Amino acid sequence: MGVAIRDILVDCKEALEWDALSGVAAVDANNALYQFLSIIRQPDGTPLMNAEGRITSHLSGILFRTVNFMERGIRPVYVFDGTPPVFKQEIVEQRREVRTRAGEAWIEALRVGDLAEAYRQASAASRVDSFVLESSRELLDLMGVPWVQAPSEGEAQAAHMAQKGSAGYAVSQDYDSLLFGSPVLVRNLTVSGRRRVRGRTITVNPERIVLAGLLDYLGIDREQLVEIGILVGTDYNPGVRGIGGKTALKIVRNGEFEATIEEKLPGFDPSPIKEFFLHPPVTDDYMLEWSAPDGDGLIEMLSGRYDFAEERVRGALEKLSARTKQKTLDRWF
Amino acid sequence: MMLQATIDTEIFRESIDAIAALVTECRLHTAEDHIMTRAVDTANVAMVSLELKRDAFDSFSASAGELGLDIGKMKNILGMMGRGDTLALNVRDDERKLELSFKGYRYSIALLDVNTIRRDPNPPTTELPGKAVLQGSALYDAIKAASVISDKIALGIDPDAMTFYMEAEGDTDHIRLALGEDELVTLHPVAARSLFSLDYLKDMGRVMARAPEVEVHLGIDHPVRFAFEIADGNGRVEYLLAPRIEAD
Repeated sequence: MGVAIRDILVDCKEALEWDALSGVAAVDANNALYQFLSIIRQPDGTPLMNAEGRITSHLSGILFRTVNFMERGIRPVYVFDGTPPVFKQEIVEQRREVRTRAGEAWIEALRVGDLAEAYRQASAASRVDSFVLESSRELLDLMGVPWVQAPSEGEAQAAHMAQKGSAGYAVSQDYDSLLFGSPVLVRNLTVSGRRRVRGRTITVNPERIVLAGLLDYLGIDREQLVEIGILVGTDYNPGVRGIGGKTALKIVRNGEFEATIEEKLPGFDPSPIKEFFLHPPVTDDYMLEWSAPDGDGLIEMLSGRYDFAEERVRGALEKLSARTKQKTLDRWF
Repeated sequence: MMLQATIDTEIFRESIDAIAALVTECRLHTAEDHIMTRAVDTANVAMVSLELKRDAFDSFSASAGELGLDIGKMKNILGMMGRGDTLALNVRDDERKLELSFKGYRYSIALLDVNTIRRDPNPPTTELPGKAVLQGSALYDAIKAASVISDKIALGIDPDAMTFYMEAEGDTDHIRLALGEDELVTLHPVAARSLFSLDYLKDMGRVMARAPEVEVHLGIDHPVRFAFEIADGNGRVEYLLAPRIEAD
């Protein structure tokens, strides 16, 4: 998912210590939720659930990741996707099909007892549905953490907030944020410092990509970066077969973007997609305020309705309360 | 023997209570003439340090070492002990067990692996120029009074009025208590004021309420340090609490 331009920006990734990340972070909420749903699972692929069979993986993910953020001086604002642009329809449907197939393959893998395959298929079958979204927002409200409803893509809204200075940086695993113009993108902000990549668990550190530095390094402007995205494929178009990041960079640098599109994809008009990346629908109607968590409400929701151990919720709550307007002793040692 | 000692249960109780106000586990250091611990709460907001000298015990023999103590478990066992009992503590060198004997009971408690417990913080270096000394019970009363209307309290020293004051602001209510020299044991009149979380202060205050005298060290937007003696002057407890941000 996202845009596959990793190979051309690998030199512009900067490994970071968590300390360097304090401040406001605009988090791509759907991206984070998808991660939680695909990763927080039992070995056979079953997600965390309460007694009624309601999925709770995302709630666990939000709670503990947010607490971890707050403890490290990061104030997150979660940005949720709105209505996707019309030209995303095709990919949305493709992904739905992939998920449905994965769901069937999961059941089959469980039947034959192939746990690794079951986990893989279950992960691929994860879906961010309305229950996941509503319960996530309810949890954030109770935690006193702000969230913003994007008119269109969440990454675009997060990028806009970072451009305006409402946030110090955008947080997402996808590189689209850069195409949307986020001045800084931070990846790999997981609690455990681990990520699952193609079935393996690897250790990851936070990494940062600064847009200006990247464009400077590649010797292009943002419009050209978007063109590279369109050539290799984005969430809105499949891209040109056989063209990867490096080739696309060469094409764009030589001013051959339009000619290449005409030749390889006759009849395809890239301009609405380009326009969408450069001027996406965003809103200024948001207020960022981190307030004290509603302790009783959190216990009622997480322990009462979703069967979280009360002790764990209280532990998280304590850390959360302590962080809102409370300084820590670190600076006096 | 890493530790072989007997102690009055009341002294042991107030020591454990002092630690339990902030943490559920700690590293206890033993030395030839004392035991001590210093621990920071999980949120890194408050610190407790406690030292008990050899004379706080009825009998005491120890070698240098470090024990991982489950404070939560200790509190539960304390519930079994009566007033005026004597408690025997034993830790053998090669065993990760603490033996507690009293009234014919003999508990053998597994010690925690010290490597799993957060490292001791360095002794804080912060300079806190203002100081007031007052009765622990008066301090706790003020904390309780403030917590009726708010979740935070300002502690300060007004050098012109020669008072140590506490002030809390609720959504609609306000409370202020100023103590002059007559009501204080001593006062170093240096201007100071910082805001603190009552959640933490209530837990600390409950412990400090029993102390005849508590030293309160203050600065401007700095942590507060409370210090008081336990075990008839043979032990000392210090709390350090980070301030809250004063304005929104």
